[in-house]
Amino acid sequence: MKRRIAVAATLAATLIGAAACGSNSDSSDTPDAAASVNGAGKTIKVWLMVDAQSGWPEVVKQANERFTQATGAQVQVDYQQWTDHLAKLDTTLAGSDVPDVVELGNTEMPKYVFNGAFAPLDKSQFENSAQWLTGLSAPCELDGKTYCVPYYAGARVLLYRTDLFSKAGLTAPKTYDDVISAAKALKQKNGSDKQFSAFYMPGKYWYAAMAWVHGNGGEIAKKDGDKWVGALSEPGAQTGLTKWAELAKTYSSGDPTKDENDQDAVYAQGKSGMLYGNGWELGAVQEQPKDPNDPASAKVKTKVNGKVATAPMPGIPSFLGGSDVAVTAKSTNADLAAKWAQIFTDAKSQEGLIAKGVLPNATSLLDKAAAIKGNEATAQAAKETWFVPMAPKWSDVESANVLQNMLASIATGKATVPDAAKAADAKINEILNAS
Amino acid sequence: MSVVDSPSAPPAQQPPARVPAGGRARRKRRSATSGGFAPLVLTLPALLLLAGLLGYPLVRMVVLSFQSLGLRQLFGDLPATDVGLDNYTKIFTDETFYLVVARTVGFTVVSVLATVLLGLGVALLMRRVAAGVRIAMIVAMMFVWAMPQLVATQTFRWLVDSDFGVLNYLIDLLPGVDFANHSWFADPIQGWTVITTIVVWAGIPFIAITLNAGLTQVPKELLEAAVVDGASAWQTLRSVTLPILKPLMIIVTTLSVIWNFGLFTQVWVVRNGRPEDEYQVLATWAYSTAFKNNNYGLGSAIAVVTVLLLLGVMAFYMRQMFKIGDVD
Repeated sequence: MKRRIAVAATLAATLIGAAACGSNSDSSDTPDAAASVNGAGKTIKVWLMVDAQSGWPEVVKQANERFTQATGAQVQVDYQQWTDHLAKLDTTLAGSDVPDVVELGNTEMPKYVFNGAFAPLDKSQFENSAQWLTGLSAPCELDGKTYCVPYYAGARVLLYRTDLFSKAGLTAPKTYDDVISAAKALKQKNGSDKQFSAFYMPGKYWYAAMAWVHGNGGEIAKKDGDKWVGALSEPGAQTGLTKWAELAKTYSSGDPTKDENDQDAVYAQGKSGMLYGNGWELGAVQEQPKDPNDPASAKVKTKVNGKVATAPMPGIPSFLGGSDVAVTAKSTNADLAAKWAQIFTDAKSQEGLIAKGVLPNATSLLDKAAAIKGNEATAQAAKETWFVPMAPKWSDVESANVLQNMLASIATGKATVPDAAKAADAKINEILNAS
Repeated sequence: MSVVDSPSAPPAQQPPARVPAGGRARRKRRSATSGGFAPLVLTLPALLLLAGLLGYPLVRMVVLSFQSLGLRQLFGDLPATDVGLDNYTKIFTDETFYLVVARTVGFTVVSVLATVLLGLGVALLMRRVAAGVRIAMIVAMMFVWAMPQLVATQTFRWLVDSDFGVLNYLIDLLPGVDFANHSWFADPIQGWTVITTIVVWAGIPFIAITLNAGLTQVPKELLEAAVVDGASAWQTLRSVTLPILKPLMIIVTTLSVIWNFGLFTQVWVVRNGRPEDEYQVLATWAYSTAFKNNNYGLGSAIAVVTVLLLLGVMAFYMRQMFKIGDVD
């Protein structure tokens, strides 16, 4: 009996020792996009936002095809909605069945990079990485390592109705005052229709309002030593907010509690003169999918088809929006995932994006983007941009809707600009400095 | 939901004993302790299911409310850190908590009152109309009852949409009224009216059908006697019908309170997943704290407090159930 126990104990010890010696896939290894992995029979899971599905499905298709050709692995793309993708990502990453590649907005990245959601990547393996747009690459950097790859950028411009402008004898505005006088003229001519907005400005459009803040010398928050301090009560920010409020209250008949998510659909109704939107919204307001539930369905022309043009918004720097893609730290196909990210963000894929009126991820490609007809305004706007405060907790400010609620209370008239800004500053201080 | 016998109705029949045809059969006595362990064993599967589906998450949530858990721990598979009563202190010293509780209680009172009164009205109406009309009413209410909350709320949201909604269009047709692009949610009072309407609309069928069943137990002789004595319709309602209906009304009201206190879907959908401060109620606040601010410990603490607040109401309901069971 004793001998049997001894033998069993020895065997057990040996097995445990062997298991401990065996190498396991170290998740802190940098996924290697250049590694030649035979992906036959494997499928990588990619989470992209719905913009790719409705805006540039061909770009995704060609990237998937090239990837399958290079590695033999299949790609399963799940399209996420902006409203709930973060909550979904949190719960998924807490488990073990995680997507391999995830797209996140550049303002959402810092929180996830900071909390260890993604694997570090070798920057040199990605094309044009030396010329990446700072607004897209800065959120990816932490402690000298790169955790995500810039995907695309968007800059906001002024969209205006060419037919209404020529009827009122106006030309594309060159200064901010031109914009206001154009709005006044449009309101005078068309104001009898109660649903008409000379400048459609939803009340919760914080990307717009903060652009106005930056255009007047203000900023959202600044770092004071070790602490973050909300700066919306400073004079520059106050001027910007007041100017924005003028548009939202006087020249817009839109819902002051809505954000900009359906502004294209509203503009397409034909009852608005001007709009502040991303370059690709020029296409979205002129054509809509026939079946709203199927973004791949045929496009139909809207009421404003052929009557809209873009111009840089004078005096207002654009927010450099956009997305990055990252490889998850818990991914079991990290090398394949890195390879897919490399293909999806290389120059060939960027060409496809540029053709759709979307800005590329590198400054070296911006001139190519400016050459596309209709993109001149956006490429121009991308040269002068602003970005949100680079605080690890910035996306908590976004989730708490601090800016949106402040703007809605200004647009509905519930609070004055100074009072609303003061309350928002207090909240920003609390959230950004929370431990 | 079974019809509850009212006290003055004929005494409830003893449930028929399971007597197998022929052979030695023992009549089951009504005492709960008879039959040995058989009843316990028979309820065991149901109890296990409840313990697994409801009990385990509840215990985990209570444990989490004494801990601090954030994204870093989730992504890195690290355990949560214990913080004792910190989360609870944070809640009770935060002014937002009292505002949210006040708002939740206020909404519950208003919506339950509206639902019960309107439900009672509909039930009384059902007793007086012809059988065909009554069936049509029941069918209509069944459709309302069967519609999922999410679908119903989306539909109402479209009705009151500021740019494309039918309600604004119709009201705007009235001469002298300017309702084009009116935002129903800019003013919280109007916004809450919309939300309360959705909740009351969805809650009436259950109340009406249950109270209708209860009204069938009101003896016709009493009603006829009241009429003979010269009582008006109001007096009959107050002095004869309502006292008989009281136990059922109390149960139905308590259930409504419990359901409406946990309001979430309607507020969440109507505000597009980002309710402003004036629209936060306890359930949405707990969810926002846990899943938007990724403060899972604090969110759990808020949920635990909500449960405790409701326990008081629950105790009342349980007492009422036992009282009715004892009457026979």
